[in-house]
Amino acid sequence: MILLLGPAGLLLLVVFAAPLLHYAWLSNHADSVVTGLEPVLNHGANWIRLLQDQRFWQDATQTLRFALVSVGVELLLALAIALLLDQRWRGRGAVRAIALIPWALPTTVMALGWRWIFNTPYGPLDQLAHALGWPSLNLLANPAITWIATVVGDVWKTTPFAALILLAGLQTIPGDLYEALRLEGGSSWVCFRRITLPLLRPYLALALLFRLAQAFGVFDLIQVMTGGGPASSTESLALYAYLNAMRFLDFGYSATVVSGSFLLLLGLCLGGWLLSLGLSRPQRQQEV
Amino acid sequence: MPHQRRLWIVLLLAWSLGPLLWQLYTSFCSDQALVAPLAATPERWTLAHYRAVLNSQPPFWRYLLNSLFVGTSSTLLTLVIALPAAYALTRLKPWIARPARLLLLAAALFPYVLLFLALLEVARSLHLGNNLLALSIPYAALSQPLAILLLTAAFRDLPLDLEDAARLEGMGLWQRLRWVLIPLIAPATTSTAILVFLFSWNEYPIALTWISDASLLTLPVAMARIAGSSIYSVPYGAYAAATVLGSIPLVLLVLVFQKSIVSGLTSGAVKG
Repeated sequence: MILLLGPAGLLLLVVFAAPLLHYAWLSNHADSVVTGLEPVLNHGANWIRLLQDQRFWQDATQTLRFALVSVGVELLLALAIALLLDQRWRGRGAVRAIALIPWALPTTVMALGWRWIFNTPYGPLDQLAHALGWPSLNLLANPAITWIATVVGDVWKTTPFAALILLAGLQTIPGDLYEALRLEGGSSWVCFRRITLPLLRPYLALALLFRLAQAFGVFDLIQVMTGGGPASSTESLALYAYLNAMRFLDFGYSATVVSGSFLLLLGLCLGGWLLSLGLSRPQRQQEV
Repeated sequence: MPHQRRLWIVLLLAWSLGPLLWQLYTSFCSDQALVAPLAATPERWTLAHYRAVLNSQPPFWRYLLNSLFVGTSSTLLTLVIALPAAYALTRLKPWIARPARLLLLAAALFPYVLLFLALLEVARSLHLGNNLLALSIPYAALSQPLAILLLTAAFRDLPLDLEDAARLEGMGLWQRLRWVLIPLIAPATTSTAILVFLFSWNEYPIALTWISDASLLTLPVAMARIAGSSIYSVPYGAYAAATVLGSIPLVLLVLVFQKSIVSGLTSGAVKG
């Protein structure tokens, strides 16, 4: 029986475990044009460089900001969409299918689409601003606000996924519960607060966890939409690792950046888990 | 209430389709019309962008075929490996199956982009670069966690008596899988296959680093190449035409298989 797991296990070892070990090893080696692209042990020099690398920490905060804002907005929108799709109305199936389309398209396809939409001065947003007599928004050239444009692109693409998970959760809630509370005179808001939100919590947690991890590794969208710019104000950790390897040909340091990002993500997950544990325990006792 | 709901539905549709419709509109606009949308231009509508995209070297349909090939081979490879593994997970003792499932969940959550550098070195040392078939190895591997979790949930729903009956009939393990169990979980297999296909069709960082030959590019990389050709003068008209052509297969796929997609994603959430 265990033999049946063999091929899958092997594949997972090769693609998940081996790379992580390889990173741990390579992150302690210099491997760049300077060393003739041969790994040379450098005893943690990469890690010291990483700790002092302002660009790495800037990218880390930017990635975190992107992930938190994008996932937060996305979950709110997804909840609204799920509540809408959970009701019964004609044409619901068709609308659900259409709402899925953004999620199914390759990120790179629409990343450039967004670049056109946010284009200054020819994109529709800037033309709208112009028609209203406003100054140009300059969304993709102003380092202070370009990240918001990347958040819009990400929210558009990934909200359907979160909405479907929440919809699945909504459909497990028995309708009698609502009726019982209604009979007691509860308004829709009370129903939402007392029934929907508590019962939806595991699904919210799942969507949150899944989307946060994916948003933390954001790469396609940013590489194509802004290239990390302007002035690396939208650069993410994954993009920085990519640039180190493919543009600066510094594979050793790139591996260090990846390992550092991985450790940050691990710490983040641990922190989030402890936080959710602390938050959910007293409440669960109440429910029982 | 219905009025309010109608407003929300319209907003949802506008939000989902708006950016795509803008691409559609752009793809038919002549360059002059794009630069000066309000001014009167002699030639407003054009098919020039579509002609440019379809006549370029290599022609656009080539990327679609490449993506189709990679998507199909990855999906087949994933299922061949994931089906037995998922079955095994439902029959193994809990002390193996539980940690295995947790590991799979962790792997499913992992942002795989971080793996690209090590995978690139694998491709280099094994000479797997510029080979579309080889691309399905990392894709199948990255799809395993989700595929196994979805298929395990489906196998678990089958009654055990059924397999016992088949065993009493004298069917071996492979026969039971082939003739009894796998046909019964066909719906779950379909959803898994579509999700894996979508992932492989859309995957970007690995395809970007493994493939450099222009005639072998998959659709997402080919799209990004257009963007990378110059930061300042992206040919938006031609690009919009490419977006439209590249989106049509996926839009059709979603519309045809939406039930499978939804049930795949949601059963993953409910049971996983």
